[in-house]
Amino acid sequence: MATREEIAGAYAEWRQRSNANARLKKMVRGWDRVIHFATTDTTDAFTVEVVGQELSELTFGHVGTPDVIVTGSSEDFCDMFWGDLNPSEKYMSGEIILAGSQHDVMRIDAISMVAFLDQGA
Amino acid sequence: MTAVDLECEVVVVGAGFAGLSAARQLARDGVDVVVVEARDRVGGRSWTVETPGGFHVDRGGQWIGPTQDHLQALADELGVSTFPTFTTGEAVEWRDGVRHTYSGLIPTSDHAAAAEGVEAILDLDLAALEVPLVAPWEAADAASLDGQTLGTWLGAHVEAPAARDMLNVAVKAVFGAEPEELSLLFTLFYLHGGGGLTNLVRTTGGAQERRFVGGSQQLALGMAAELGDRVVLEAPVESIEHGADQVTVTVGRADAQRRVRGRRVIVAMAPAMSVRMRWSPPLPGVRDQLAMRMPMGSVTKIHALYEHPFWRDQGLNGQLVSNQGALRSTFDDSPVDGSHGALVGFIAGNECRQLERAGPDARQRTVLAELQRAFGPRAAEPLEVIEQHWPSEPFTRGGPVAYAVPGALSGFGPALREPIGSVHWAGTETATEWCGYLDGALSSGVRAAAEVLMALGYRGPGRGRGGSDGDT
Repeated sequence: MATREEIAGAYAEWRQRSNANARLKKMVRGWDRVIHFATTDTTDAFTVEVVGQELSELTFGHVGTPDVIVTGSSEDFCDMFWGDLNPSEKYMSGEIILAGSQHDVMRIDAISMVAFLDQGA
Repeated sequence: MTAVDLECEVVVVGAGFAGLSAARQLARDGVDVVVVEARDRVGGRSWTVETPGGFHVDRGGQWIGPTQDHLQALADELGVSTFPTFTTGEAVEWRDGVRHTYSGLIPTSDHAAAAEGVEAILDLDLAALEVPLVAPWEAADAASLDGQTLGTWLGAHVEAPAARDMLNVAVKAVFGAEPEELSLLFTLFYLHGGGGLTNLVRTTGGAQERRFVGGSQQLALGMAAELGDRVVLEAPVESIEHGADQVTVTVGRADAQRRVRGRRVIVAMAPAMSVRMRWSPPLPGVRDQLAMRMPMGSVTKIHALYEHPFWRDQGLNGQLVSNQGALRSTFDDSPVDGSHGALVGFIAGNECRQLERAGPDARQRTVLAELQRAFGPRAAEPLEVIEQHWPSEPFTRGGPVAYAVPGALSGFGPALREPIGSVHWAGTETATEWCGYLDGALSSGVRAAAEVLMALGYRGPGRGRGGSDGDT
């Protein structure tokens, strides 16, 4: 189980890398969205926004109306943000669940895979 | 011969999932229907067999995934249960002569190339959402999209050879064709109807998520059982004579022909096969020419059966993605109880054509060598190898699906489903969602049945015939 501070720390690293990644910036062009994260093993909740091709800082709690809701364990979120976990593996096993429009789910699915892959490149 | 041997209201040609679905719907609405099928079995591209060793394998379509609601409803109704495709462990990637293993959806031996491939898939999937499912030829830029192949698009958008290889494997597996053969418009329509390319190649959460305990053909057998002796097997159609409100379907070979007469006919098969019978009067040019532009894919499905799913002991899930050789993709196809091991692989597109001349023995040697390099020496010692070369199957002539070449949909698309007098069309290729899949076949049958019910003046499902005499 990861604490909310650990998740926030991992996300901050992930955000920095992602906002500097040209491929990811291209993939979120014109895609301003509100993303809610809900943990299954704690009561923590987080909100992240994509605005103007940039990921926002993480906000504790659920803020605004979500376009996508990502549900998973706190540990998986932490590992995903650290780049230690291939998100597609967790989507395929159903341990991380994406909910939203087909368009938005496709987009976040691909973005998170690219973020993982580009980190290992 | 002039005598009519069978009289009915509606003749359905083809006892695959589409034809049976249509016939069942009609019969439930009180329509007198006869199904004629060329083969000695029902199921079409779904075909479950017992091997000499007593194993059951699906020679054709076998998976069900999320949103395939027609297929799930039928399975529920018939009490056919499903189980998850085995996915625990790592997959094998064979790339440029080197073996790698990976977790997740995308082969990761070259991260940068994989990322480029994912980006390209997203671009395709997002573009697909803009193509209308009912009338893809009405897409805003239909002419431009239909004026190029998927291969052209990939050439312009994907630089890394490894990324292109990854996409080629996916495309071959899905269509049984090379990207250079597929209209981009058709590809996008197909992806839209199946939830995107990512969804089409996925196991968990995607099109290969689950399998049917006992095989998929049970579903066709269940539908056929409801229809009883209305399904006539070994009745290949020789000709269809059609008028405004009458059809005569002649089946059987010259020395034993029978004529089935009705008011409507539903032709439930791939477009290319629908023009191999004699039509009187001839079909309109646009329908025939559409069929010429929708060839069947090229695929050989191969099962290697083992005493035990030994790859699981090595932490492998039986999936292979390869950019070389005959087999470009495999899955674990072992039964739900794991009582024996089974790997299923696909030889598709150019490899299928090239290896056709080699013959089954050479194909088997090739396949086993490739399985061995992916999964180890035990893969070279199967109990049985079962091959289904779909281009040789006389009443299908390819698979898994028919695809459209450039210009087909934009020039001829409306002819795909448009009735011609008393002639209606079904078949998975006419589906607007899950085109190419068993689910699409079922929905196409329901749609064709509804057309016929309306044409014959039936008032609605289960409510019998109305006061009018239809469109006569």
